[in-house]
Amino acid sequence: MTSGAPRTDRLLSNGRDSGLTGRRALRWGSGCGCVVVLLGSLGHAAAPSQWTVEVLMGLLKAQREHSVRFQESTYSSLLTKPLIAHGVLKFVPPDRLEKLITAPSHEQYVVEGNRVTFESERKGVKRTISLEEYPALRSFVEAFRSSLNGDVVQLYQVYEVTLEGSREEWTLLLRPREPSGKSVVDYILFTGSEGRVATIAIRAPDGDRSVMTILQGAGR
Amino acid sequence: MNRNRSIPLLWVLLMAGGMWLSAMHVSVHSELSDLLPEGTTRTQGLLLTQVRSGLAGRLMLLALEGGTPDEMAQVSRELGERLRASGQFALVENGAQDLTTQDRDIVFQARYLLSPRVGAETFSSESLRKALEQRLDDLRSPLAPLIKETIPADPTGEFLTIVTAWSAEDRPAKHRGVWMSKDHSKALLVVETKVAGFDADAQAAVQEEIRHTFAVLAGQRAHLRLLMTGPGVFAVESKQTIEQEAWRLSTAAAALVLCFLYASYGSMALVLLSLIPLTAGIMAGMLAVQGWFGFIHGITLGFGITLLGVVDDYPIHLFSHLSSRGSVSAVMREIWPTMRLGVLTTAIGFAALLFAGFPALTQLGLFAVTGILTAALVTRWVLPTFVPDGFVPRPVWPAFHGELERLTRMKPVIPAAIVLACSTLLWSHTPLWQTDLASLSPVSEANKQLDRQLRAEMGAPDVRDLLVIEGQTEEDVLQYAEVVDANLIPLRTSGTIAGYDLISNALPSRRTQQNRQSHLPERSVLMRNLDHALTGLHFSPGLFTPFVAAVESARTQPPLQRTTFEGTALGARMNSLLFEQGRSWMAVVPLRGVADREQLAAGVRSWNMPAVTYLDLKEESNRLMTAYRDRTSVIVVCGLFVIGVVLTIGLTSGSLLGPILFPIVSALAVVAAVLNLSGESLSLFHIASFLLVIGLGLDYALFFNRLEGSEEGRLRTLYGLLVCSTTTILVFGLLATSSIPVLHAIGITAALGSFCCLLFAGMMAKKVPHVS
Repeated sequence: MTSGAPRTDRLLSNGRDSGLTGRRALRWGSGCGCVVVLLGSLGHAAAPSQWTVEVLMGLLKAQREHSVRFQESTYSSLLTKPLIAHGVLKFVPPDRLEKLITAPSHEQYVVEGNRVTFESERKGVKRTISLEEYPALRSFVEAFRSSLNGDVVQLYQVYEVTLEGSREEWTLLLRPREPSGKSVVDYILFTGSEGRVATIAIRAPDGDRSVMTILQGAGR
Repeated sequence: MNRNRSIPLLWVLLMAGGMWLSAMHVSVHSELSDLLPEGTTRTQGLLLTQVRSGLAGRLMLLALEGGTPDEMAQVSRELGERLRASGQFALVENGAQDLTTQDRDIVFQARYLLSPRVGAETFSSESLRKALEQRLDDLRSPLAPLIKETIPADPTGEFLTIVTAWSAEDRPAKHRGVWMSKDHSKALLVVETKVAGFDADAQAAVQEEIRHTFAVLAGQRAHLRLLMTGPGVFAVESKQTIEQEAWRLSTAAAALVLCFLYASYGSMALVLLSLIPLTAGIMAGMLAVQGWFGFIHGITLGFGITLLGVVDDYPIHLFSHLSSRGSVSAVMREIWPTMRLGVLTTAIGFAALLFAGFPALTQLGLFAVTGILTAALVTRWVLPTFVPDGFVPRPVWPAFHGELERLTRMKPVIPAAIVLACSTLLWSHTPLWQTDLASLSPVSEANKQLDRQLRAEMGAPDVRDLLVIEGQTEEDVLQYAEVVDANLIPLRTSGTIAGYDLISNALPSRRTQQNRQSHLPERSVLMRNLDHALTGLHFSPGLFTPFVAAVESARTQPPLQRTTFEGTALGARMNSLLFEQGRSWMAVVPLRGVADREQLAAGVRSWNMPAVTYLDLKEESNRLMTAYRDRTSVIVVCGLFVIGVVLTIGLTSGSLLGPILFPIVSALAVVAAVLNLSGESLSLFHIASFLLVIGLGLDYALFFNRLEGSEEGRLRTLYGLLVCSTTTILVFGLLATSSIPVLHAIGITAALGSFCCLLFAGMMAKKVPHVS
């Protein structure tokens, strides 16, 4: 049950900065990321005997928090240093998800149903788009919804799901099944312990990646 | 005797020659636009050009239904790809594709000439700094992998600005990247055919190809259905319906008439003989129209043959006067003056159509006039030579003594009927005139309904409202279009219109492009500004070299032209929005979702741009149709007047004018009132049919008032008249049952009119008739 860690290293070593393993995850856009983040913190007492994706989902759903703070580092081949951003993730049941960037400048994504509202201080825009227009985003959000609903079947439809490690230290690897999802995501990797997510790493097909670290205890 | 043999021979030769000519030279057209008029005003001209070949007519809406949303999305995507590849379409939109790779390359190359944001400030270090910070945000966005590759060459994001500006916002919702109705029951596509919407044959071929492509893609998924609508689809449907029904009804009518004739006289010989003038008339009419117009329209042929049914009256008149005493030629000579007058006046009635200025009616008029005159001449000179000696067809039901006397006693009914008719017309809630052209369309209500529904779901790429911009050169038109754009933006903001497609947004004028070029900085200036802007941002060194090179080359780049896009998807689209028309250039601006037409029209007027015309296709078509209807009405009245003059001369006595003309005028009034009471408003085609009624009425009235030698002769004349009118009523009554509004209008008017004319002429007939 400890085979998770080496696998994580192997996966991430493809990136330029393999040393950052685990502590990061790409940004929000991966609604899925948020999902699981929001899913939760502390595990349930009633632990089933088998450590499965279903069990993990159950834990995450039961323990989801309304809001958590995060730090996000973005590594790109166009940059000499990672971009660092800070912000808050919020979830309002049943299907409203917000990612608010507070630094370096204000930026906000709100997903509600099939609508995504994007607001940027720097660009001076507020735009609402339909998820249907952006199949790549859609797969993220579908994963997010299925996770929140504990709908493992739906999650499996969108992603190849691999759970490794132990209940105390697990990694969850998602690889998109559809071309639209693959065009923006190579994989999404969650790490955590019990019902608590520690990091979400998202790797793009060209090797760029982002790592989101959930700052525990800061949210409400 | 010699003459009696040579005439049939000559006749047979002539008919054979005529048949050969018809077979070799008559070309039957089916394009509906051949039947449209030229238009007298500039706006009408623009309208008709648009209707014939314009963008509005070429747009077609497709929908896939019956499957799961995923299934339909996939078929829509594949159908879109195949249709684009077929080369038959200027545009295939289903939401899946914004630009082809080829077009993307051209646009990307020319981004500094095309982007509306390029101005004096665009490349200052402050603007560049802002743009670069936004690119950092882009790198953090979920769609970064898709945007990233354009950053080094286009850090100011001009390409995205151009593409975003082009993608209209008032588009349908999407599912799996393709357009889908809100309830996800239909995948939606818009295509623009390269062939004209009114070219029914070409349209039929294109539509067949779409159906075929769909059938191949749907394959085993038989539950998937394809729906199509749009002017082209309607054109094909109209043509098929009109042709089928015109032919079906005229065949049925002919059979009915022949059976009735046989039943009335019990003589096969009579039936066959009565065909001689009719066939001659049809052939002459056909050749005349071919000779004059160079083609005959299928619809003219169908209607014309039905109209020529009236010439069957001529042989019947002859046969009903035959008796064992005089020879056939003598009888013919005897009734000829009456018949001649009837023929002349009927021909005058139809001749009026020649001046209608509407090709459909002109062809019909020529066909009818030639046919009637020929049939009459054939009845006079040829038919008698075919009639065997002693041929005296007997009425099958001879006894109706005193009927006429009883009828004439009812004469006071006529003024009463007229008063009733006029008051009906005055007080009726049904409008007298039909002003909505759409109600004349032979398209079925179900298909009109489908059209409305798809348009609503599609966010209405309305084919109703257009701006037309005209200019001497392409550049003039583009410069006007840029002014129009500035004027349209407030109308879109205020919601008067939902959106529009304007050529200058895709292809700015040369002047605008050169103006943008003048704002592009020299390399050294740009590099200095860029270095300044990059301070503290951790972009890789040298990352923006492609950007600097692109701006440098754009400074001397030749302006983008329409021809640059030749052969690409965008090029095809541009060609339908901007094209050469005669010696000038024209841009068409389709307006979507017009909420307030009056405000729009007022807005366009206030721009004070003589080069720009606002065209409401529906309103303008109706106006056009109304103009032609009024013109036809005037012509009918003039025709009636000329007929009166001819009658006065022909009858050599004014005293008969009343009994002959009055029934006809009364009949017209009563027909108009009955139609109105039944909820029908009068259209161009009702009016044209009035001419037919006048012709028929004259014929009846003349023979009613004809001096006959004996009581028996008089009864046989009456019998003949009854047979004539009954055949007419049968033929047109059958037409009246047609689902095609135009056919129905002609049928109901002529059937009712024929009946009223017979009744009234009978009532008004002089007790001692004296047409000599």
